[in-house]
Amino acid sequence: MFFPGSLATTLKIECIVEQTYGPWWQSLHRTMLRGILGKTFRLVGYTIQYACIAHCAFEYVGGVVMCSGPSMEPTIQNSDIVCAENLSRHFYGIQRGDIVIAKSPSDPKSNICKRVIGLEGDKILTSRPSDFFKSHNYVPTGHVWLEGDNLQNSTDSRYYGPVPYGLIRGRIFFKIWPLSDFGFLRDSPNGHRSPGD
Amino acid sequence: MTAGMAQSQGWVTRYFKAFCKGFFVAVPVAVTFLDRVACVARVEGASMQPSLNPGGSQSSDVVLLNHWKVRKFEVQRGDIVSLVSPKNPEQKIIKRVIALEGDIVKTIGHKNRYVKVPRGHIWVEGDHHGHSFDSNSFGPVSLGLLHAHATHILWPPERWQKLESVLPPERLPVQSEKESLHGSP
Repeated sequence: MFFPGSLATTLKIECIVEQTYGPWWQSLHRTMLRGILGKTFRLVGYTIQYACIAHCAFEYVGGVVMCSGPSMEPTIQNSDIVCAENLSRHFYGIQRGDIVIAKSPSDPKSNICKRVIGLEGDKILTSRPSDFFKSHNYVPTGHVWLEGDNLQNSTDSRYYGPVPYGLIRGRIFFKIWPLSDFGFLRDSPNGHRSPGD
Repeated sequence: MTAGMAQSQGWVTRYFKAFCKGFFVAVPVAVTFLDRVACVARVEGASMQPSLNPGGSQSSDVVLLNHWKVRKFEVQRGDIVSLVSPKNPEQKIIKRVIALEGDIVKTIGHKNRYVKVPRGHIWVEGDHHGHSFDSNSFGPVSLGLLHAHATHILWPPERWQKLESVLPPERLPVQSEKESLHGSP
């Protein structure tokens, strides 16, 4: 709205106006200009301030997230709206059975939403459902094993391996939409996936 | 006596209000700046010698970490970057990017001789081979762990310089899918 070009034109017109008209006209133009500039700076200042507060809130406290995809059915359906909190991540309080949001290991700009099946050091069943021979593996240090609740339709750690803890962004703990499913999230419908549990 | 006390209480309330207002403006702006734009950090360890910390533990370099440059996860071969350690999420490590996704690297001390860097991952190594805990130990790292791009050394003053994105010729990838900035090998 207030481009530098138009500002320069405004100043030029003001000079011409000063010479042509009397002092009343001059003071009116000067007040208008100062008012517009002042309002612009105030607006920019407030925008920066609220953007920074929003960043701190989303980064350190939590926020509202909309999930898409079928990999967490029936716990979280497509287009559900859930609340995520980031305090567990910062205090390293993520536990087995938590549903977490993490950056996708193969695409850092997109997020994945899965359940934590194993923490570092846990013994995990790593073979795919189609494999005949079952294989077990230990989750390496600093990593977690993520799986979706909808095992038939989920690309997760069974496909891309254990996920570094540093990629986890927050823990989902509450669903707010649809209202028919309002409340805390259920446990995994798949029972225990690690042997010896 | 009462009028004087009321006046001093009013002064305290006004001071408190001004302090709160400044606090809630300054702290989020400062935190956002340090998280999203740039910050400084002291480098510890010998894994990047001689580029960083050539004096060992006597004098640690202090580097400028630029978050803004990696906000879209765009890095080039040869950049010195800081990332969250895949083995210990509480720690940040600083290494040089050797290969991008799709490249095939010849490893030093890794269990496989040649490794193809998967999509969304990079291969990082310290300049001081043998004294570096890097991709030769833990494999390719996901780009999501990228923290910042180290652009300058700020301290000590005699080492004030811009860090160049230079890839040692013996560490060029065996085969690369993406074009390199410094011309093809």
